[in-house]
Parts: sequence; structure tokens; C-alpha cells
Amino acid sequence: MKTLQEIMRERIVFIDGAMGTMLQQYGLELGQLPELLNLRHPESVTAIHREYVQAGADIITANTFQAHEWKLGDAASVEDVVTAGIQCARNAGAPFVALDIGPLGQLMEPMGTVTLAQAYEVYRRQIVAGAEAGADLIIIETISDPYEAKAAILAAKEHTDLPVFCTMTFQEDGRTFVGCDPLTAVSVLQGLGVDALGVNCSLGPASLRPVVDAMLRDARVPVVVQANAGLPVIRDGQTVYDISVEAYTDAVAQMVNAGVRIVGGCCGTTPAYIRALKARLSDVCPKTPAPRRATVCTSGTKAVVLDGVVTEIGERLNPTGKKLMKQALRDGDNGYLITEALRQVAAGAQVLDLNVGLPELDETAVLSTAVRTVQGATNAPLQIDSTSPEAIEAALRVYNGKAIINSVNGKQEVMEQIFPLAKKYGALVVGLALDEDGIPPTAQGRLEIARRIRDTARSYGIPDEDLLLDCLVLTASAQQEQVMETIRAITLVKRELGLKTVLGVSNVSFGLPQRELLNATFLAAALGAGLDAAILNPLAARYREVLDAFRVLNDEDRDSARYIEKYSQLAADVPTPLQTADTPGLAALIEQGRKDQTADKVRALLSDTEPLDIINAEFIPALDRVGKRFETGELFLPQLMLSAQAVQNGFAVIRDHMLSLGQRRESRGTILLATVQGDIHDIGKNIVRMLLENYGYDVLDLGKDVPIQTVVDAIREKDIRLAGLSALMTTTVTSMKDTITAVRDAGLPCTFWVGGAVLSAEYAQYVGADYYAADAMESVTIANRFFAAE
Amino acid sequence: MEDAKAEVLRYLGYRGQAISSEVSALVDTCMAEIRTAAHPRHIWRVFPLRTDEAGLALKQTDLVLAGGDIRAHLSGCTRAALMAVTLGIAADRYIDSRKSTDLTAALILDACATQLVEEVCDQVQDEIAQSAGEEGLCVTSRFSPGYGDLPLTIQPQVLRILDTERRIGLTCTARQLLLPRKSVTAIVGFSAHLPDAIHTGGKCDTCAKRESCTFRRGNNEGDNVS
Repeated sequence: MKTLQEIMRERIVFIDGAMGTMLQQYGLELGQLPELLNLRHPESVTAIHREYVQAGADIITANTFQAHEWKLGDAASVEDVVTAGIQCARNAGAPFVALDIGPLGQLMEPMGTVTLAQAYEVYRRQIVAGAEAGADLIIIETISDPYEAKAAILAAKEHTDLPVFCTMTFQEDGRTFVGCDPLTAVSVLQGLGVDALGVNCSLGPASLRPVVDAMLRDARVPVVVQANAGLPVIRDGQTVYDISVEAYTDAVAQMVNAGVRIVGGCCGTTPAYIRALKARLSDVCPKTPAPRRATVCTSGTKAVVLDGVVTEIGERLNPTGKKLMKQALRDGDNGYLITEALRQVAAGAQVLDLNVGLPELDETAVLSTAVRTVQGATNAPLQIDSTSPEAIEAALRVYNGKAIINSVNGKQEVMEQIFPLAKKYGALVVGLALDEDGIPPTAQGRLEIARRIRDTARSYGIPDEDLLLDCLVLTASAQQEQVMETIRAITLVKRELGLKTVLGVSNVSFGLPQRELLNATFLAAALGAGLDAAILNPLAARYREVLDAFRVLNDEDRDSARYIEKYSQLAADVPTPLQTADTPGLAALIEQGRKDQTADKVRALLSDTEPLDIINAEFIPALDRVGKRFETGELFLPQLMLSAQAVQNGFAVIRDHMLSLGQRRESRGTILLATVQGDIHDIGKNIVRMLLENYGYDVLDLGKDVPIQTVVDAIREKDIRLAGLSALMTTTVTSMKDTITAVRDAGLPCTFWVGGAVLSAEYAQYVGADYYAADAMESVTIANRFFAAE
Repeated sequence: MEDAKAEVLRYLGYRGQAISSEVSALVDTCMAEIRTAAHPRHIWRVFPLRTDEAGLALKQTDLVLAGGDIRAHLSGCTRAALMAVTLGIAADRYIDSRKSTDLTAALILDACATQLVEEVCDQVQDEIAQSAGEEGLCVTSRFSPGYGDLPLTIQPQVLRILDTERRIGLTCTARQLLLPRKSVTAIVGFSAHLPDAIHTGGKCDTCAKRESCTFRRGNNEGDNVS
């Protein structure tokens, strides 16, 4: 008998159609787990499979869609249900039996609470059971989040040698429920090494055509289509679908003509649909894919294509020379990373470089946490910047999307460590044109190293389009005669090897005045030589001007629309300086919640006022007055918050000012805040944080859905005396109780206060808290009283 | 839209305070933004009701509706519609994206999303009422898992019965939190009689927090929205 791979090369492959639709015809009650029928009524399941075998399906999808421990619970073991499911398909005479892997039924972080490691474990158990039961392949299907697909694919690849197909589910807007587009899906899935990829469920075949076309454009592996038989309608209490066998077959045949190689059905399809597909398409010769070979990096919901355009990679998430970031990394303060990431994206960065290398930190742990933090806050793809293979692998593993690794170089040892990781996780790689002998002085020398990097990458199965060559910048102050060699090397690498190029620009000006001027001029020269991506500070004004201008000249900014919008008004936009006499004082600005004006005002005041005087004479009295008016009901929450944000903006100015003088504001005490395990509603907690910080407290914010042990550990390690917990739901209030109990059981002398929508004084007592705060201002009162008493 | 704005303000704890034109404009902007970001989807389906020793149940499914409150709510009903509504994950992400840059906007957007999902629920309920009306029946108000003594633990079953994960992208966590966050599931009864007080009564009447809640309808009479 021919292997599946052989058949896939020779002809169109046929997968079966719906199981759920058929089970309902066999009398399945809604709400039941269909997978349990493998144990309770195996004969019915086998009978359905047999109908599909007789209709001509090559691959029979076992009834194991959500046969995982979260869905099955105590009803049956994963192993029993999966084994019985594979057996049913086998008994029906299936030519090939597929272990069916569906979504987990819970959302992955950051939208949900499931981590990659948790998803991996659940999938691992289901997949190992299927492989041991004798499945011939694995079909991962009806997936919305590529992160979930990644967990399943990794589990499959790390525990079996079976072929893996993965299909995702797109809505009428061309995206999945979590917002993934077809290019992102293709890039991630084929990066992870699936044997076939495509679409299933949600819509009829004709409606899926645009998504399928988009996938065919980039897919290097066979494309699968398993559409629904149209949209469901309820008729006489039963769900039926509105596309006929003929219309379905016509639409699928057109897609096969366009290059689809594996077809089948999803919801609403029956053996009649599969029989018709087989009759129509079994003699059709499949098209050999001819994908464009674009260089693409992605997050979970956004693809950045590096072909024919200039891509900006933001360099600011790097502690080198940044006191604040170093401090944030040491404190585990995620807020800094998020703010800095969002600022760069707002300025124009399309990709963000992420480096957390500090000698005193465990880089492997810190980098993967940072990846999760940043990808939770922005959909810009990330460039993982490290020299540690362990840290790179840990980061690539938790990354959602197709990342860039920064970097390898021409050293054999480095390539041997990094390329296998790039291959396994489907990452792009930056290759530095240096080797054991350092940076070659000539462009020709760097070209030779680039060639070696490319050839070695190929030997690991990494395609040329996944490489970005960095021809390396030398500083004009030290090696002036070699600066233009870099520009020549860019031209050579592009012409001789056809590789994409990337460059970290700012080193060129090291040791010289007006660095931005040199940087921007050098960037312009590099862009002229064909540079594809620049690693730079997107907030630097001169870079902005060069990039905005070059995008006009490079025909990227069509009709110069963005350029005109940004620059035509510039001359008229010179800001008039604040007339101190005419504008309200700082305290009044705060009380009026004019958050956009306080920073300027504070900056002006700092020229002749001590920071502490501003805080004590302006910030605190104003906040107190606003707080009082809130408590009496004269103001409502958004008004209080605007004032608090005004103070926050003012504080940022004072903090930077003090830092430049080597000072830090004295803390009134450290307070821990967390939204408890299982709860993800954290706006209330964030409001409390802002107010506490305004009043001079250091807040250790552990975030949302915080595991109990994390709270216990943090309280012990940081010697926390006062902690605030929030929960929004009745079901998560028990988490609050468990957290407080765990801290008390650990013998830690910590005082707790609690708050959140469902909380009340009685609930606070029930969970064992010391205080209850009905609103954010009460939290401040509790903290003030607590630390005054201490 | 004025009604919608009054609802948003109610969720924000507004009680008739003087609102500056800036704050009022901010609410307007947030309402418009969330309507752009959200991608509302819904699904509903009607099932016959039956009463047996286990209690009230939906026929053709394995769902038992435990508790006295839902029984009272559906008294006299022979059928009930199960409905699910979500604004989609994009609404969550849009709100989250503002949390670290502008917390006030995030709070207001959150309230706007809560208002919007209720508005969509009202539309879906109208659709259900129309369908009931074609058979000469009227409908009760919405009753959700977690209201009164109807346990929240039926949430996974409700989602499975409506196949919400595949059809509208609605899931729930191990602790029965609906995700996307701005989502609602509910039961609407079909009855031959005109709804009596308990059916038409406000959403607050069966709530366990009705005595202490600051958002309770009718507590705030302010109309100073400029």
C-alpha cells in the first residue's frame, strides 16, 4: 500500500466529512460530549466512519476532537476515549486513520488564561494516546489562535513522527475569531513544519475562497479545504445547512483548480458530499505549489512582509545604557516594557527588538516572561535578541508567531547552536557578517561570510527568505575608512546572494557630537543601497524624517499621502509657549483633570522649585481635594481618574528629573497588588495602583490571574506588609480566600484588603481579609492609615 | 443614543454630577470607538421545556435548570430560547490596549462595551420575541446563569448546546468566566400569557446584590448629560 505522502504527490486526497452532524442524526443529545460515544456506542461511531469509507474517503477522522482532559473531566480517561476512537475508525476499514485534535475550549493568554505550557500538556496527553493507539496522522483543526496550534504541533512533533495537518477557522471578515489572518496562519504553521495546512469549518466553500487564495499564495506545503455545507439554519428543531452537494462540489473543484490538494467536509457535510467530491476530482492531477517566497515575520495576529519596503525594528527594549529599564527588569516591573513597546509602535516601529541581558539576571526566565508581557500588549512581531541559546529557545517557545532571532554569525559553533532552533520554531534569523577572525575589513570579506551563513542555513533546511544579513556598522570615529564598506557590502549581499539585509545603524556615530545627524545620513545611504530593515530608535526625530521621506521616494507611501499629512502642516504647528500667568496653576490643572497639560507645567516649575515641594505643595493637596469630592459624590469615577492621570503624568517628569540628578523619590512603603487566580478583570486593580503610586507608594503589581504561590513567594521575598487583592466574579472570590489562607498558613505577617465588583464587607470577612475597600479612594485611605500606624 | 449614553454613565457610577464638556466628549468618543472595534455575534435556539424529578430541563439536551428562581421565571412557559451574545475578542483587546496608556479611557470603554453587549442582547431578544409572536406567544425577560440561584456552573453546557465556540467564538474558563469578556448567555421563556410582574420586572429584581448595588436602576436620576 502506498504511503500517505506518496498519495499526496500523485492525486487529490480526500478526507471525510462531519461527525457531529451525523451523530445528531443518530440521536446524540445536545450538550453531551460526542467523544464519549466512542465508549458508549462504538458501533454507531464505526457505522458513520464506514459510510465515509464507502463514499471514498482516504482519511477517516477519528471521533477525538475534544477528547482531552479539560473537556472529559471525570467522565472518562483521555486514553480510553482516544483509543476507542481510533479503533472505531480502524474497524470501519479506514485507509488512513487521523487522530483529530480540536481547540481546547478555553482561550490562550493574553485574551484568556491558558499558557503555552498548559496547552502543550493537555495536547501531549491526547496525542500520545492517539499515537499509541495506532493513528496514521494527526489533524489539528478548527483552530482560531495560532498559539494554540503551536502548542499542539510542538506536542505532536516532540512525541510522534506522524504527519501533521493543521487547519484554521476563518470568519467572513477573512480573520479567525482571535484576529489571525491567512498570511500569519501560513507563516506560523509552515514554520512549525506541518505537512499540510488550510481551512476548515465556519463557512461554505465559496465564502472561504479568498482565504484559500491567500494561503495558496504563500504555502510551500499542500493546502487543505474542509468547508461547511454553508450556514446552519434550524428547521423543525434540527440544524440543517444550506448548500447543496452540487454547489459544494463546484466550489471545491474550483479551488482544486487553483492549487488545493486535500479536500473534505466539515459541519453539515455528509457521505454524499464526499462521494461527489471523489467522483469529480479523483482523476484530477494536483497542481505543484509555486508560492512567492516572501520574507515574513509575524505575531499571533499580524504579519510584516519585508519585501520591497523598509521595515523599522525598534531597538529601545534593551537595558544597555538605560537606567530605568535596568531597574524595571530587576524589579520585575512589566509596566516599563509595555509602555516602551507601545511608544515605539506608536512612533512607527513595525517589529520590536527585545533584549533583557543583564549579568545579574536569569536571562532564560526573564526573556521568556518579557516575551509574554510584550506580546500581550502589542501585536508587533518581536525580534528575540540574545547570545544565549537557552534563553533564545525558551523565548521562541512561548512566542506567539514567527519571530526573528538576533542573531547568528559566521562562527561554526554559533550556527550549530542557533540554526536548529530557527528550523524547529520557524523563526527568521539575523546573520552577522563576522566570524572567528572578527569583522572582515572589506565588503568582499563580509560577502564571503554571508555566503557561508546562507549555505549552512540551507543545510538545516532554512530557506533563504528566512535570513536577514547584517553587514555590520563600524564607528566613524575609530574606523572612518571602513564606514562605506558596510554600504558596499549591503549592495553585494543583495546582488550576489539575493538575501534580505538588516542593520543596526546608531553605532556609526559613537564618540562624535550630534549623533543623530550622522545616524540619519548613514541610514539614508544604507537605504539607497537597498537596506531592507533598520534597527533603530523610532522615536528619534531625524530617523523619522529620513524614513518618512524615503518611503515617498521608494514608492511605498502611495501618493505621498502619509508624508503630506504629517509634514504639510508642520510650519504652522509651532507651539506657542505656555503663558504661565494666563494658565491655571498646577493644582488647578490637576483638579480639572487636564492630564495633557500637567507635564509641561511641572517641567516649567522644576526650573525654580524643588521636586519635593511640587509633590507636597501641589500634587498631594490637589489629590486630597479631588478624593474628598469623589467621596462625597460631587465627582464620579472618570473625573477622579483624569486627575489621577494628570498627577501620574506630572510624576513621570519629576522622576526623570530626579533620576538625571541621581536621586529617587522616597517611598512611603511597598504594597502588593494582584487580581486573583482565575480572574482577568483588572481595570479596578489598575486604578488602585495609579492612585497608590500618586500618593507615593511603591506598588508591586503582580498582574491578573495570579497563581496563589506567586503571591505567597512575592510576599515572602519582598517582605510585603500590606497587600490588596481584587476579584470581579463570584466564582473567583474563592481564589481570594485561598490566596489569603495560603499566606497566613505560610506564617507571613501580611495585612490584606480586598475589593472588586462582587465584594462586600461580608465577603471580605468570609475570605479572611482585614479590610474592605468599596472604591479606589478607600484603598488609599487604608494604605495611609496602615503605614501611619507602622 | 442618549439612552445608551445614560446607561454608560450608570455603569461608571454616575449620579447626576455636573459633567464637563471634556468628559462628556470622551464618553461619546469611547462609545463610537467601541462600536467600531466590536464585532457582535449572536446565536439562539428554541427548545421545549419539560419538568421531571430532576427539575426543569430543556428537551433534546442534557441541560437541567436548577433553582427556584428560574422555575418562577419560566412558570407557565412551554418552551424557552437559549441565547448567547458576544462582542468578540477585538473589543477586549481594544480595551486592554488602552489600559497602560490611558486608564480613564480604558474604564470608559469597558463601560461602553458593557452597554453595547446589553444593547445587542435587547436586539436579539426582539428577534426572539418576533419569532414567538408569529405563534401568538410572548416572551419573558432574559435570565442568565448566575442570576438568583441558577448556578453559573451550567455555563459550559449552555455553550456546548449552542456550539458557541465554533459558531460565535465564545468560550468560558475553568471558573465559568465567559471569554471574550463582553458576552452574555441567557434564557428567554415563551408563554401564552401576558408576562406578569416577575417576567417584566427589571433585571435587578432577582439579583443577590440588589440591596447594596450602586449600579441599580432607578437610583440615579441625573440628566445633566451635556
